[in-house]
Amino acid sequence: MSLLELEDVTASYGFAPVLHGVSFHLGVNDAAGILGANGAGKTTTLRAISGMVPATGRIRFDGTDILGMSPDKIARMGIAHVPEGRGTLGDLTVRDNLRVGAYTRRDRKGVAEDIDYCLELFPNLQRRIGSNASALSGGEQQMLAVARAFMAKPRVILLDEASLGLAPSTARRVYDAIRRLRSEAGVSMVVVEQNAALAFSVVSHAIVLETGRISIEGSKEKLMGMDEVRRAYLGG
Amino acid sequence: MKIFLARPAVRIAIAAAFMVLFVVAPLVSTPFLNYQFSMIAVFAVALLGLNVVMGYAGQVSLGQSAFLGLGAYIAAYGVSHDWPISVVFVLSCVIPAAVGMLVALAAARLRGLALAMVTISLPIIGVPLAKRFPEFTGGSQGTTVSWLNAPGWSGLADDQWRYYVVFVIAAVLFVLGRNLVRGRIGRAFAIVKSNEAVALSMGISPYRYKVLAFTIASLFGGAAGFLYVAIVQYTSPETLSFATSINLVAAMVIGGSASILGTILGAAYYIVVPVLAGQVDSTRTALISGALLLAVLFLLPHGLVSLPRRIVQLVNGIRRRGRSTVIDPPGDNTARGTAVEPESQEQTQ
Amino acid sequence: MAYFIQLVVEGFATGSIYGALALAIVLVKRATGLVNFAQGAMAVLATFVAFGLTQAGVPLILAMAVAFAFAFAFGAGVERFVVRRFEGGDPDTAVVATIGLLVFITGVAALIWGYEPRQFPSLFPLQSIDIFGVFVSVRSLGTIIVLVVVMVLLQTLFRLTKLGLAMRAVADNPQSAALSGLPVSRLLMVGWGLAAILGTVAGVLVAPQLFISPGMLDFALVYALAAAILGGLDSPIGAVVAAWFIGVVENLAAAYIDVIGNDLKIIVPFLAMLIILIVRPEGLFGRKVVVRV
Repeated sequence: MSLLELEDVTASYGFAPVLHGVSFHLGVNDAAGILGANGAGKTTTLRAISGMVPATGRIRFDGTDILGMSPDKIARMGIAHVPEGRGTLGDLTVRDNLRVGAYTRRDRKGVAEDIDYCLELFPNLQRRIGSNASALSGGEQQMLAVARAFMAKPRVILLDEASLGLAPSTARRVYDAIRRLRSEAGVSMVVVEQNAALAFSVVSHAIVLETGRISIEGSKEKLMGMDEVRRAYLGG
Repeated sequence: MKIFLARPAVRIAIAAAFMVLFVVAPLVSTPFLNYQFSMIAVFAVALLGLNVVMGYAGQVSLGQSAFLGLGAYIAAYGVSHDWPISVVFVLSCVIPAAVGMLVALAAARLRGLALAMVTISLPIIGVPLAKRFPEFTGGSQGTTVSWLNAPGWSGLADDQWRYYVVFVIAAVLFVLGRNLVRGRIGRAFAIVKSNEAVALSMGISPYRYKVLAFTIASLFGGAAGFLYVAIVQYTSPETLSFATSINLVAAMVIGGSASILGTILGAAYYIVVPVLAGQVDSTRTALISGALLLAVLFLLPHGLVSLPRRIVQLVNGIRRRGRSTVIDPPGDNTARGTAVEPESQEQTQ
Repeated sequence: MAYFIQLVVEGFATGSIYGALALAIVLVKRATGLVNFAQGAMAVLATFVAFGLTQAGVPLILAMAVAFAFAFAFGAGVERFVVRRFEGGDPDTAVVATIGLLVFITGVAALIWGYEPRQFPSLFPLQSIDIFGVFVSVRSLGTIIVLVVVMVLLQTLFRLTKLGLAMRAVADNPQSAALSGLPVSRLLMVGWGLAAILGTVAGVLVAPQLFISPGMLDFALVYALAAAILGGLDSPIGAVVAAWFIGVVENLAAAYIDVIGNDLKIIVPFLAMLIILIVRPEGLFGRKVVVRV
């Protein structure tokens, strides 16, 4: 059974619809990508899932209808969204950000172990553990945001443009860590990216959005083999 | 409907109708009603000043009562010392304007609440000062004056004569104010209000325009003080008080900020509601006023002036079942932070 | 010299009242982003609840406990059902909404208990004690101690508890906090509830002296606002220090500068505040606000 199911989802900000009938499936322990240019509706898709934007259609998580639930309720069901702009809690320290990520958990020992795991995964964070998050560089904030999402021990992590604004080497490091998380923690992921190469380093299949509609979808091999995709999103 | 109202013939007809109303009204109504109408005019001027600085230019001012009171005291002092009335009027406008300008010069660089606090200090400092110097202000008792009596040749009663004087002055001030906010200065205010950085980049100095806004507001406040003494024939530290300032701000928002018609509606609210509430049950004035204020804010966040627009929206919403096109009132989010902006192009860091 | 110390202590005591109210204002500002002009009125209503109970023979401590519980529930309810609508919108409208609340709540208190000032029982005995030749009233000392204890409790809550962490997260970025599963709605209500309790502390401490009436805290509110802003609006400690500063300066000026008597003493802290704000717009302890274009 699918872990996450979107059926004919339409979403809008105000009057103009941004998504037009998008359908999408994510299996258990699966990683899928959503690709497309700026303004195609990728971020909106994630926001529709996490409840940040009103939508119509059907969104099911583990069999339960989550369309219309408040964002915090959806998060408590096991969906962790790393938003565009990272959403770091700037006034709180790195450690406190991670503690906030684990807010819904009750296992103190598990939380402490997971904090150690995150710091090992992202050594930069270990070095800055006591600093306020706003003092971190863009790359470090991105790592913190991913770590914080992981701290919730979610079933699905939604990653919104994790490479945005980062130098290529930093972006690669972030995705190396994301790959490790995938394999070691077995958490499913939806990866939104403009940079398809980075996305495909983690996901096994993807959809491509164009002005709110799915234009192409398929496995990684199929998409990487297509000329249009290569030219538009992989730099030829 | 809008197109109908925009036609010049219609507008002139409406304006003429109101003119006739204004001119004829005092002749046929009671002194009590004339008093109320005149008071509406007085506070409309005060509110216009407040609207200029707060509604149009976006700077919080919780001290408008200080200028109202100052203008009133100047008027009372001048009149009881038999100064020519035109001189008194000019001083009632100019001295508060000067004070306002000085305060603004010092404080206009402050933001938000810090600026609000400075404006709060004005009535706070003003009231004890007024009580302390009875030679000028009559102390806590206030000063009573007797002036602006109807001249023999007019054949009018005192309240009617004063009504006309006040209305003429108020009308002139309103026309001046209206032209100001619709002109170049008003547009500059709007830009400063929405985004100061953008204003700077356009060569508009936010600081200068804020000082200008405060000066204008204080001028109108002082003028309103003069008009106040004309009608009430008395002033006291009460006029200066912080409570008055707060009520003025509330009236402005209820009437509709950044709107000329809203100013007049706000003044009507300011005068009429306490009278009505007092008549229902004088011990419950506060309760009713507060409840009314909250009700207006909930149902008509843009003020009474938006009532026609809101009714149209509601009617359209009912007619158009399904997706309604009602524009959300400000702050109409279910919980802070669920409002989202469309996919942004931001490149952070 | 003894007189001077006495004045300073009294100043700290009055300042503590302003400080408690200022703490409430800062808490609400940090949690929900708006300044609550009705903070004093809410506190007075809860204090009246305590008053009503003591009139019915309930012991003062118990009456105060009930008043605190009422304040929490009332504050939470006000946030949820009245203020929520205005959060995140035009700040001027939000200010006026709290002003509407101020008028309405004052009206409710007046409806039930009238406008006449009434006597409120004092928590502390009405004596003065002699400390090295200085006569200090027990009430003043008690007030200062209560405020310090409250501050310590607040700091403990915010720095050491999970609830405090959650409230700090929501204050920082409520949208992001929701994505981590934090119950934002409930946390906002808790913030207002706590603030209401803080205000009620000020209310019950000052009521014996001022005699309780619906407008009892109107003046203190203005001082509290000044203290909160002077302190930088997001610094609880700054607000309290500023409040103490205002209390002490006001007292000293009234006593030592002849031209300023008891009636003009209010001018001194406001003048000082004006000067401080002009020199340092972010307040004494505030952070410089960087406005992004």
